[in-house]
This record gives sequence, C-alpha cells and structure tokens, in this order.
Amino acid sequence: MTAAARVEEAVKEYGAGETRVRALDGVSVEFAAARFTAVMGPSGSGKSTLVHCAAGLDTLSGGRAWLGETELSGLGDRELTLLRRERIGFVFQAFNLLPTLTVRENITLPLDLGGAAPDREWLDALIDVVGLGDRLQHRPSQLSGGQQQRVAVARALAGRPAVVFADEPTGNLDSRSGGEVLGLLRSAVDTVRQSVVMVTHDPAAAAYADTVLFLADGRLVDTVQQPTAERVLDRMKALDGRRGKAAAR
Amino acid sequence: MNASVRIGARSLLAHRRRLFGTVLSIVLGVAFLTGTMVLGDTLRANFDTLFADANAGTDAVVRSARVLDAPDVPGGIRAPLDESLTERLRTAPGVSAAEPSVQGAGQLIGADGKPVGGQGPPTLAGNWIDDPKLNPYRLAEGRAPAAPGEAVVNRGAAKAGGLEVGDSTVLRTPDPVRITVVGIATFGADADGMGPSTFTALTLADAQAHLTPKGSGQVSTVRLRSDSLSQRQLVDEVQKLLPDGVEALTGADATAQSTADVSGRFLSLFTTLLLVFAGVALLVATFTIHNTFAIVTAQRTRENALLRALGASRRQVLGTTLGEALAIGVLASALGLLGGFGVAAGLKALFAAIGFTLPTGGTVVHAATVLLPLLTGTLVAAASALVPALRAARTAPLAALRDTAVDASAQGRSAAVRKAVGALVLLGGLPAVVVGATRGPSLALTVGGALALLAGTVVLGPVAAVLAVRVLGAPLPRLRGVTGALARRNAARNPGRTAATATALMVGVAVVTLFTVFGASVKATLDDTVSRSFAGDLAVTAPATGAGGSGVSPKLAPAVAALPEVGTAVGLGRGAARIDGHGARLGVADPVALARVTDLGRVDGSLADLGTDGLAVSRPEAEAHGWRLGSTVQLQFTDTTAAFTVRALYAGGGVAGDYLISRPAWEPHRVQDADTLVVVALRPGVTVDQGKAAIGRIAAAYGSPQVQTRAEYAESSASGVDTMLSVVYALLALAVLIALLGIANTLTLAVHERTRELGLLRAVGQTRAQLRAVVRWESVLVAAFGTTGGLLLGALLGWALTRASDGAGTGSFALPLGRLAVVALVGPAAGVLAGLRPAARAAKLDVLRAVAGG
Repeated sequence: MTAAARVEEAVKEYGAGETRVRALDGVSVEFAAARFTAVMGPSGSGKSTLVHCAAGLDTLSGGRAWLGETELSGLGDRELTLLRRERIGFVFQAFNLLPTLTVRENITLPLDLGGAAPDREWLDALIDVVGLGDRLQHRPSQLSGGQQQRVAVARALAGRPAVVFADEPTGNLDSRSGGEVLGLLRSAVDTVRQSVVMVTHDPAAAAYADTVLFLADGRLVDTVQQPTAERVLDRMKALDGRRGKAAAR
Repeated sequence: MNASVRIGARSLLAHRRRLFGTVLSIVLGVAFLTGTMVLGDTLRANFDTLFADANAGTDAVVRSARVLDAPDVPGGIRAPLDESLTERLRTAPGVSAAEPSVQGAGQLIGADGKPVGGQGPPTLAGNWIDDPKLNPYRLAEGRAPAAPGEAVVNRGAAKAGGLEVGDSTVLRTPDPVRITVVGIATFGADADGMGPSTFTALTLADAQAHLTPKGSGQVSTVRLRSDSLSQRQLVDEVQKLLPDGVEALTGADATAQSTADVSGRFLSLFTTLLLVFAGVALLVATFTIHNTFAIVTAQRTRENALLRALGASRRQVLGTTLGEALAIGVLASALGLLGGFGVAAGLKALFAAIGFTLPTGGTVVHAATVLLPLLTGTLVAAASALVPALRAARTAPLAALRDTAVDASAQGRSAAVRKAVGALVLLGGLPAVVVGATRGPSLALTVGGALALLAGTVVLGPVAAVLAVRVLGAPLPRLRGVTGALARRNAARNPGRTAATATALMVGVAVVTLFTVFGASVKATLDDTVSRSFAGDLAVTAPATGAGGSGVSPKLAPAVAALPEVGTAVGLGRGAARIDGHGARLGVADPVALARVTDLGRVDGSLADLGTDGLAVSRPEAEAHGWRLGSTVQLQFTDTTAAFTVRALYAGGGVAGDYLISRPAWEPHRVQDADTLVVVALRPGVTVDQGKAAIGRIAAAYGSPQVQTRAEYAESSASGVDTMLSVVYALLALAVLIALLGIANTLTLAVHERTRELGLLRAVGQTRAQLRAVVRWESVLVAAFGTTGGLLLGALLGWALTRASDGAGTGSFALPLGRLAVVALVGPAAGVLAGLRPAARAAKLDVLRAVAGG
C-alpha cells in the first residue's frame, strides 16, 4: 500500500545555542493511505511538530517529507500554500473558524480561496452527515464547541484532500461532542477512503484509529495496530515506565 | 463573490466600531482639504465674474504701458494718461464711445464717522462714467454727480455706512473731501457692489483733482466700445493712434489680467496657506489610521494565520487587508467630500469673523476639487495600511495555534536597526536645522533639516516612548498607587503603539508650538522695531488691511506741526520705484525732521543733502547691493527713470524702511499721495494726553485718523500677528482633534484586546472607578508624551524658522513661556477627554464574560 504522506530522517530544531530544542530527532514515519492514523506521545515528544511538518505548515531542519509523490522540502511559500489549499485538510484544537463568516462560508473557504466551484452533491452529503443543515447561516459564535469542531471537520473534508491532518481536534470538547467529531473522521475513512492523521493524547480518541504511532523525545518508539483504549493506555504506561527507569538510571 | 473580497467586507462590517476613529480621521482630513479647494474655486470664480461684469460693456481699455510691480498692489502701479487722448480716440475709426476713467483709493466715512470697509477688500473712488455700457454701475436711486462735491456711492457701502441720498460725508483720498451723496448705485443690475469693495464716484473734474498727481488733465485709463468691430479689431485699429508708452488691450484680456493679478497674489497665497494646514491634518490622520490598522491587524493575526493554513496565498491576505483599507478610504473620503462644503462655509465665516470679508457668490466646484480629495483620502488610507497589510501577509500559518504576537519594536534586532537609522536621521537633521538657521541663513536647508528631524523622531518614537513613559509616569505610582503603576506599565508595554499614537499628537502640538514661537518672535521684532526706532511721543495712522484704506492725508503733518503743543511732526509717505529690477517701497519724508523723531541709528553721510536726486539707504540693503556713499542708483518710476546718488546710510529695521527720499524728489513721480504714518514729538512740558487731545481736534478735519501713543502704536503694529495666530490655531485645532481621536481609538482597541486581563483585575477586586482611572491615566501619559515631544520639536523649529527667515539679522527671538505652558497643560488635559470613552467601555465589562470569553 502506498503512503498518503511520509517523513524520512526528519529533524526539527528550534532556537539556537543554549536554548536549542530538538523536537524531531531523525524520525521516519509513513502515514498509510485510506487509513486513520493517530499520533500519540507525552508533551514535548514532537507529535504536533511531526504533523505540522508533514502538512506543510512548518519546514524541517533536516530530512525529507513527502505528500504522496510530492517532496515538500524543495517547495517555496507559494507552492506550499497551493498544496495546503488543494491537497490538505486541517482541523485544529481551537480557533478553526473565521468568526466573521457564516457556517456555510467557513466550510467552502478553502475552495473559495482557490476560486474552485464546490461539488454540490458532496457538500450536501457532508452537511447532512455533520448534521448542521439548519445552522448554515449562523456565525461560529452562535454554535457550541462541538458544533464548531464538526464544521471544521466538514471544512477539512470539503475539498476531498489527499490527507486530513487533525491536531488534538477533541482537546477542548466533552466526551460526547468529542465522540461525534471522531465518528465523523472515522466514517470519512470508511466511506470515501479518506486518509486521516490525528494528534491526540487521549487513549479513547486514539481507539478510533487504525494505527497508533507513539513518539517520545522526537523519535518513533512504538506502533499499535487496531488499537483499543485499554491497549493504548497500557502502552502509554509501559512507555512512561521505561522513561521513568531511564530517568532513574 | 471572490473569497478575499468577501472576507474583507465581512471583517469590515464586524469591526465597524473599531474602525470608526479611522473613518472619522479621514473624513475630517478630506473635508478640510475639500473645503479649502472649494473655497479657492469659489473665490476664483467669483473674482472672475466680478471682473467680467466690470468690463462687460467695454471692448478695449487704453492704459499706460509703464507699470511698477509694487509689493502690495495687485497689478502694480500704472502711470496716468493724458486726458486729451480721449478726444482723439473718440473720433478713431470703429470707436462708438470712449470714456475717460479715473481710479484711485478713497476711504468713505459712514454716517457714524467711522470708515466704511477697509479691512481687506479695496475701497475705491473714481469718476462716474456717463456712457451706461462702459459703466458697470447703474443708478438705483438719485442721479449722477454733476457738480463739484457730488458723489454716487454703491449700495453696499451706503447700507454699511448708513448713508442716504442727500447725506453729507467725507471721502478720504486721503485728503478729506466733503461730498454730498446724490445717488446710490448697484453693480450690474442688482448687486450691492463689486463684491465687498466700496466705490465712490465723483465728477470727472473732482476725481482728477483728488485722485491724479497733477490734479487735472490726467486719467487712469480710457475705456472704449465699438458697435461695428470685434474687440481684437478695435484694439488693432486703436493701437495705430497711440503714442509710445501707451497700450490697448481687449476687454476680455483686461478681465483675464485682473483675475490673474488677484489669483496670482492674494488667492494662491491664501489657498496655499490653507492647503498647508489641510496637509498637516492629513499627516496627523495618516499616523492615526496607520496605528489603527496596525493594531487591528495584530489582533487579527490568528485569523490571518488560519487563512494561510487553509491555503490563502500571501497575496490574498494582503489583498484582503488592503482592500479593506481602500474601501474605508473611498467611503470616508466620500463623506469628507460632503463635509467639505460645510468646511468651506465655515472657513469663510472664520475669515469674516476676523473682519476679512471675501466676495460672496454661489459655490463653485471643479472636477479636480472632487477628484483630488477623494484620491488623497483613499491613498492616505491605503498607504497607512500598507505596512500592516504586508505584515499580515507575512503571518506564519502556525501563528493560528499561538496567542497574539508581542510588540518587539523597542527590543531585539529590528530595534537596533531602528535606533541606528533614527539616530542617523536625527543627527543629520539637527545640524542642518542649526546651520540653516544661523549660517546663511538658508530656509531650504532649515526646512530639509526640519523634515529629517521629524522623520528621525518618528523612527525613534518607540525607543523614546519607553523612556518618556518611565520619566513622565514616574510620579504616578506614588500619586495613584497600584492604579498609577498599572497605567504606566500599560503605556509602556506596546512602545510602538504608544509612540505612533503620541506621534500624531506630537506633530499637531509641534506645529502649534512652531507658530506660537514664530508669531511671538515676529511680534517681538515689531515691538523692538518700534521701541528702537520710534523716538516720537505720538503716532497718527489710518489703520486698514489688505487693499483697503487710503492712508493719512499728507497735509495733516504740517497742520499738526503748527500746533503750539507740538515740537516736530513728520509725515512718512509711501513711494514706489523699481530698483535693480525689483519693485521697492520708498520712504518719502523730510529726512532731517524724520531723524529727529525716529532713531535711524548711526548715519553716515548727510541726510540734509538728499535734495532732489539723493537717496538714503539702510546699511544692510546697501551692503546687499554693493552700494557705498556716492554710488549711483537708477530708480525707475511710473513716468521716468532717474539717477539718484546714495548720500546717506542708516541702520536698518526701523519704521523708515530701507529707502528714504525727500518730498521734493518724489513730487514729480507721485501717483496718489498718501502718508502711512505721522510721527509727532511734543514740546517739553506738554503731557501725552494734552498732545493727543490737541492733535485729535486737528485730525477730525482730516477724516479722523487714529492718534496713538507710542505703546498703542507698537501694540497695533503687532495686532495683525495675533489675528493671524488665532486663525492658525483655529485651523490647527482640526489636526489636534484628529490626534486626540487617535488616542481614544488606540485605547479602545487596547481595552478590547485586554478584555480578559481587565476581567481578571475586576475579579480580584478592582473597582469600576479604579479600572476607569487606569485607562484614563494611560491616556494622559500618552498625551503628555506627545505634547512634550511636540513642544520640544516645535520650539526648536520655531527658533530655526525665526532665524532662517531673518536675512538681515535684525529680528528678535521670543519664547512665549505663558502660551507654551498653556499648550503643555492643555495636551494632557485633552488626554483625559480622549480617555473618557475607552475608560467607560472598559468599566462596562462583564466580569464573568471577560474572564471566560475566548
């Protein structure tokens, strides 16, 4: 199976001299196409950085990153912008929607930016699935947090991107709203073979994925296929234990 | 709809309250600009119509070709013609009518004994022209003057002076002429007069007697009309008959020339002056607008970052922000354009209030008057938003995940660059100003240096803001406790923002200070001139401004001198000649007597030997031309050119001016004789009051000019400066208002931005009153910073301008501490006002919402 996105020997450093931080330390990862991949790890493990770099939001200090067959390292701002607009979808933890635009306008925003006409049928189906048909003319401030994240998911899916990257999409939500958002992502993978990559620290959220990658100190340390919340939690405890022992030594 | 356009339009609507200050700034600036241009257009058109009406039936004007460009007479002084020319022209082929015209200055006295008009518009006298087509005036009442002493006055003057047919009054030409009003005339069919000017028409013989040098046989011009020839053909025909030194021009050309004379001198000066102030207002507005956009863009960093993350190109973000600015610019400029008509009316009222009447008439607007302010306002908005828009376009997509950026304009690498550039510009500007002011002096160098100083101050602003807030705010924590400390820290936490806000006020205050210092210095110079050179006890003058008035009768001085209370009385007349290619004003007097009542300083040579071909010159003027005692100077008068010998040199800068010639020397070349000043020295033992009373009785027979003591004379010489300053203050008020709007706007935005923080403070027990005080004190600090900077910059530039414009080096410099103290107090006090609305908004915050709100 070909990878929807991958990084090879990825290195990302912030700052200089004394304060230099190595967020990614030569990590190589493949995100499978038409699969739901979760990236987990403790704070500072580099999981968000990995996803930002793979998605063209940030650039690597070393190593290479691909989106499908396109190598990102050689691209300028203009190409990266077009790439984000046409081939990538995003869901952030918060502040996903422009407060001045209506729900419908927010959903079609990436398409509008490119001047592309939206696929009506697909859009209607999407809106139907997301369940916000009666809220299309509302402003984001009139929606609950869960509703806002569902709009963000609809927006990410609207352009049928190669990959949807989600950075802690349920971090600010209660478990019921979170479940709805994760269900949306899951069904996109199942019904239209959408590739999804999600950063999370919640084992229950990770259980929606097909594969869970564990990062620690900027390196890939473990992989779990077909996870359940319990298995993910066990692995995390095991990892914490190793780290604890390493620290004790 | 295009996505960028829609996003821009939406955020415009969503932030309309925040952009209110920006819109108002542009509206005010553009309204001022439009008002100035509308007023200029209207005046120009009105003058054009007036002169066209005055020449409506005239096909050709014959006049002397000898003209002197006099510094204060539009169109210059023209030599008279021989009356006999009229008869010859009457019989010329194609001429249907030829009428002599005599024109001069004649101050009409009203029924209450006070002069009618004279403050700005001309006060004219002349002969009544019998041919109705050549005379622009029509009798509305009574009849034309037929006997000596009979006169027609225009209806406007009759109304203003309370004169009716049958009344007797005095016309100062400047010799008092007793006249009886026999008729009242309208200008054209039904206008009260030729604009606000006054006109008194006498018989031809009377006009010649009082308004021409010889008293008979001379006329100013001959007006012609033809029923058979075109204007051009008539001129060609007449030209053949004219002697040397006499010219003919078409009625249309005469109109065009008169309009150009007025536009070229008075109008362009007037409109340029107003445009300068409109420019200051717009400059201040630019700072305010730039600041608003900078803040709004900074607050929108996350939105822009989100857009970038979702695939908006830099160009799209730039386009959205710039488009927003353009939309605001167009909208606000359009509003300003409408407001401009109100401003034009206001400006007219302002000048009328200080006694300077402008011609009335319909408002005239040219296409340029609509387009230029519209374009300027839009460009100002777009240019102000350019840097913030570029910054917005450079937003990193990842900024969507972070909180708002910090202002680093006072620290880090860009700050080092800023400091270096600012210091460099400042260091270049300061010496340029000082050198320009003291060596040379060179106005160009000084102005260049001043601009560099201003630029340097703007660049260094954020660095200075930190320091200034620390110093100015030092007493606050002690005076106001934690409230003061918070205000001080808030003002210092966004130095770039504080500086930009204060800069707008600084520019306004600097210009106010500049004019205050310059005006005080001019006043001091005038005071000094009078006290240094005026050695008499009393002065007699006929005060008038602009083209009005007719001076003091030359017969008054001898009459006053004959009084037993008076030791010496000398009339100082005003002559004109072209010297070295430039029109110059000549002082005409008895030089020896003048030296007794004025201090001419050290005199080289002999004033007694001037005779009819001698000239006394002020030392600086002589040096400028390279003349010494015995040098020959060519004086070109309206009639001939004569060689004069420099026989005396005296100190310059006094009431006597730069050139003095004797009355006999001036006599053959005079046009309409008038004294500008009679200087009186009383006999020993006579009190000033006794002298004043005695002279007043004599002066009553000469049209009652003013009799003033030395101090009163000095005061009234300088009173024009105060009037001018009041106008300047009124014009600058707008710029200062815009600057204060800027402070209010910035604070409102800051309050909005600090909503959570303010909520936290309220939650831990800060009262509403304390919260209001924090915002208010921050406003005061910003205003104090702007005011202090403006005072320093303005005082320095005021000093430089005073020195640079004083070529002779005889001027004084004065620092009017009282007035400047008022400015220093008003600035921060206005800060309190500017802080009212933001403080009220901050106090209205709902504690829970402020803390919880995201």
